[in-house]
Amino acid sequence: MELSDSVLQHLRAVVDLPDFGGTRYELEGEIGRGGLGAVYAAFDRQLQRRVAIKVLDGEEEARVIAGLEHPAIVPIYDAGTLPDGRAYYAMKLVSGERLDRYPRGDVPLSERLRLVERVGEAVAFAHTRGVLHRDLKPQNVMVGSFGEVYVMDWGVEGVAGTPQFRAPEQASGAAALDHRADVYALGALLRFVLPADPPRMLRAIAAKAMEPNPADRYGDVPALLRDLQRFQNGQAVEACPDSRWQRTRRFAVRNQVLLLLLAAFVAVKFFLFFVRRL
Amino acid sequence: MNKIVTGIVFGAVLGFLDGATAWFTPEVRPVIGGILVGSSIKGLLVGLLSGWFARKVNSMKWGIVFASVVGLLFAFGIALMQGNHYLEILLPGFVTGAIIGFLTQRAGAPSKQTV
Amino acid sequence: MDPDTAIGGGRDRFPSTRHSLLAAVTETGAVPHEALEQVTALYWKPVYKYIRLKWRKDNEAAKDMTQSFFASALERDFFQQFDPAKASFRTYLRMALDRFTANQYAAANRQKRGGAAVTESLADDCEPVDGETPETVFQREWQRQVFALAIEDLRAYSESAGKRLPFQIFAAYDLAEAERPAYSELAERYAIAVTAVTNHLAWARRMLRGCVEARLRGVTAGDRELRGEMRSLWS
Repeated sequence: MELSDSVLQHLRAVVDLPDFGGTRYELEGEIGRGGLGAVYAAFDRQLQRRVAIKVLDGEEEARVIAGLEHPAIVPIYDAGTLPDGRAYYAMKLVSGERLDRYPRGDVPLSERLRLVERVGEAVAFAHTRGVLHRDLKPQNVMVGSFGEVYVMDWGVEGVAGTPQFRAPEQASGAAALDHRADVYALGALLRFVLPADPPRMLRAIAAKAMEPNPADRYGDVPALLRDLQRFQNGQAVEACPDSRWQRTRRFAVRNQVLLLLLAAFVAVKFFLFFVRRL
Repeated sequence: MNKIVTGIVFGAVLGFLDGATAWFTPEVRPVIGGILVGSSIKGLLVGLLSGWFARKVNSMKWGIVFASVVGLLFAFGIALMQGNHYLEILLPGFVTGAIIGFLTQRAGAPSKQTV
Repeated sequence: MDPDTAIGGGRDRFPSTRHSLLAAVTETGAVPHEALEQVTALYWKPVYKYIRLKWRKDNEAAKDMTQSFFASALERDFFQQFDPAKASFRTYLRMALDRFTANQYAAANRQKRGGAAVTESLADDCEPVDGETPETVFQREWQRQVFALAIEDLRAYSESAGKRLPFQIFAAYDLAEAERPAYSELAERYAIAVTAVTNHLAWARRMLRGCVEARLRGVTAGDRELRGEMRSLWS
């Protein structure tokens, strides 16, 4: 049998569609396709609301995420098995933009860093629960209409990640990955959101997170986030140690009021000294 | 260390240092001991009041203004007692007060807040 | 209960007996006849079209080369050398094909020393569409062949399980070349309700997915590779 291109295309479209017959969901359409499965918009007839449903190859991902309750991790409402044996889970339908399509032209640097920090917090939280993301990239981050951030598509064993955001040890299929693979990906994400000509220190932070050798990266995600915070506070960052002159300048900037007052004191003393001599 | 204690410590130290600069005025060198004590006590009192103010008001600007004014007043009192060296006492007293005000606003633990 | 209209229950899936034969091959070193059969059934056409496009062979030459490739694969421990940890079987096969055809081409050129290169024109069915590479053609032909074989499996199963009607409706709708008939038209044609048309289609598509998975299971070396291949089918 020879199938034409149009029939082939049609079959690929319809055969993969999940059959929600017998469930409370009414399929609306496909809204995305990730590394682990497709995501569909559906209507929950029971609770009268729209949801997103992800159909998986296996059940692991649902169990992984169901255990993670965090403001930046999409809440899971329900999980089940389709008639064809595939597992699915229903989650909040996030309306917003994927980070890779997020309009960044006018977005100030502080807002870009805020997005990265929200992602980092979610990942750091997951790490405390022993869960790695493994596939962190802008396509897996949603920014809602109110600026809320959601990290999606939590990875499972066997997903190699996306080249640009993939740690070298992940690409080479090294034995055991650890949380530093996510540190690498977060650094790549930071580099992705930064403007064309970013401040030197932010470049250094991203570069440190993306060191080829995991031992040279930040020890964990909170360490990276602390450096971002230091940058925003005008302090020196771990990734980019200041020279003596830069340290002095930074001290002067942060303590300018005190230095001015001390200078005023010395000036007054000098003034009085010379006035007396006149 | 709370703000009041911070103020007392900084005030005493800065007052002492302020008094020490009197060494550059040769004619008062014989009585520098008294100057040091007086200046330190003045600084301590300014620091005490600044620290108290800093517990009530969390504002760098007003902290500096308050302490400058208090420092000026104390310096005026001392200058009156001296009857001499008004400028040498008032100006540094004013600036020292400002520095104490800055330090008490920035350093020291704020008062405990009960919910 | 009329077997033609009976709809399978929620767990009605293609009774897959295909375990991973490739896994058996890589484990035991033996090449089961069935493994080679499955590989050839799935990859013959993609290999043929790939050779035609990449090496610009005419129909007969490409057929010969395809035949030689599969014949030599059996002789040269082709299956035994496959390492699932390094790449999917599909990738491994294509790389082996590249090596094989390059060697053949080099050998042929040595024989033709000094001769002018002959430009062989391709028949219409092998002209590349703009922007298509031999690799994308290989991928598409693989997808096409997976579905073609799976449909044959579904046809055979439907016959044996007394589900002729669902298959007929599926063929009439999903395999239609031109404009697809409306559900109401199909309902009238087969004298059933429109809801039955929907149910039959859902059944057939569900079963077809199972057949596709079974076919891929036969040419992959484990669950992980199988999932990857299923994803590739829809990427």
